[in-house]
Amino acid sequence: MGALTLGGIGLGAIGFGLGAIGAGIGVGLAGLGATQAVARQPEMYSRIFTVFIMAAAMAEALGLLGFVLAFIAMAA
Amino acid sequence: MNPFADLPGEINHLLTTLAGQELWGPITTYTPFIILIILLVLVAVFTAKRQLSLVPKNRYVGAIEFFVDFTRNDIGFGVLGSAAKKHIPFFLTLFIFILLANLVGIIPGSKAATGTMGTTVALTIISFVYFTYYGIKHHGLGRYMLSFAPHGVKPAPLAAFVWFLEFISMLLRLLTLSVRLFANMFAGHILLGVLAILTTLFITPLISSLSLDAAGFGVAGILWLLLLVVLYAMEIFVACVQAYVFTLLSSVYVMLATTEH
Repeated sequence: MGALTLGGIGLGAIGFGLGAIGAGIGVGLAGLGATQAVARQPEMYSRIFTVFIMAAAMAEALGLLGFVLAFIAMAA
Repeated sequence: MNPFADLPGEINHLLTTLAGQELWGPITTYTPFIILIILLVLVAVFTAKRQLSLVPKNRYVGAIEFFVDFTRNDIGFGVLGSAAKKHIPFFLTLFIFILLANLVGIIPGSKAATGTMGTTVALTIISFVYFTYYGIKHHGLGRYMLSFAPHGVKPAPLAAFVWFLEFISMLLRLLTLSVRLFANMFAGHILLGVLAILTTLFITPLISSLSLDAAGFGVAGILWLLLLVVLYAMEIFVACVQAYVFTLLSSVYVMLATTEH
C-alpha cells in the first residue's frame, strides 16, 4: 500500500535516477577527455576548460530536464 | 520519536515557498529580487565607472575590471575571435546579471531571481532573438535559414533531413538554455533547504528533552549541518559556473549563427 500511495513521487524519483545515469556518463566522459588533454598539453588549459564546460553543459542539460520532469510527475 | 516523521510536510512547505507566490497581480515573491539585482548591477557599474583610471585605484574597481576582462577575453574573444568586439556589452550584461542573481539567491532568506522559469525564459528569449538577429544580418534571411544544414551532405533528401534536425535542435536551445539555469538553481536550493530542515528536525529533540536518544539525534544533526556547509560552498561554485555557462553558450550560438559551417 505504501508503494502505491507514494506512486507518483516514487516513479518520479526512479525516472530521474534513470535519466541521471546518462548525464553522469556524459559529464564523466567530458571530464576524462579534459583531464587527459590537460595532462598532454597543460598550456592549453583555458581553451580546454571552455570546451569541457560546453560539453558538460550539453550532457548535463538532459539530466536536468529529467529533474524537472520528475517534479512535474510528482505534481500530477 | 522519529525525526523523519515531519519531513514530507516540511519539504512540501519548502517546495511551495520555492515555487513563488503571487503578491499582487503579476508581481510574485521573485519580482523584488529581480528589481534588486537590476539596481545592484546599475550601482556596481556606475560607481566603478566614476572611479575608472588607467591603473585600477582600489580593489573594488579591480574586481569589476576583472569581470569585464574575463568576459571579454575568455567568453568573447575566446569563442568569437576578432568579431567579438560588438557583442561584448551584451555578454557582459548577461554575465553580470546572472552571476549577481545566482549569488544573491544563495544568501539565506533571499530568493534567486534566476530560480524561476519566468526569468530564465526571458533571458533565453533575449539571447535567442540576439543571435537570430545577427545571423540574419550576417547571412540574409534565406541564407541564414539554409545555413543550419552542413555543407557536403550529398543526396538532397538527406541534406533536407539533416537541415530539419539542425533546425529543431536550434529551436530546442530555447528549452535547454532556460531549463539548465532554472533547474540548477532550483535543485541547489531544494538540496540546501532539505539539509537545513533535516538539521532542524534532528536537533529539536535535544532542546525539548535531554535523553540518550535525543543526544544521538543531535550528533546526527551536526553531521547534517557539516554536509550543509560543504554543499553551500559547492552551490557558490555552481552559481558562478552556471552564469559562465549561460554566457558562454550564448556566445557560441552567436558564433554558430554568424559563421559558415
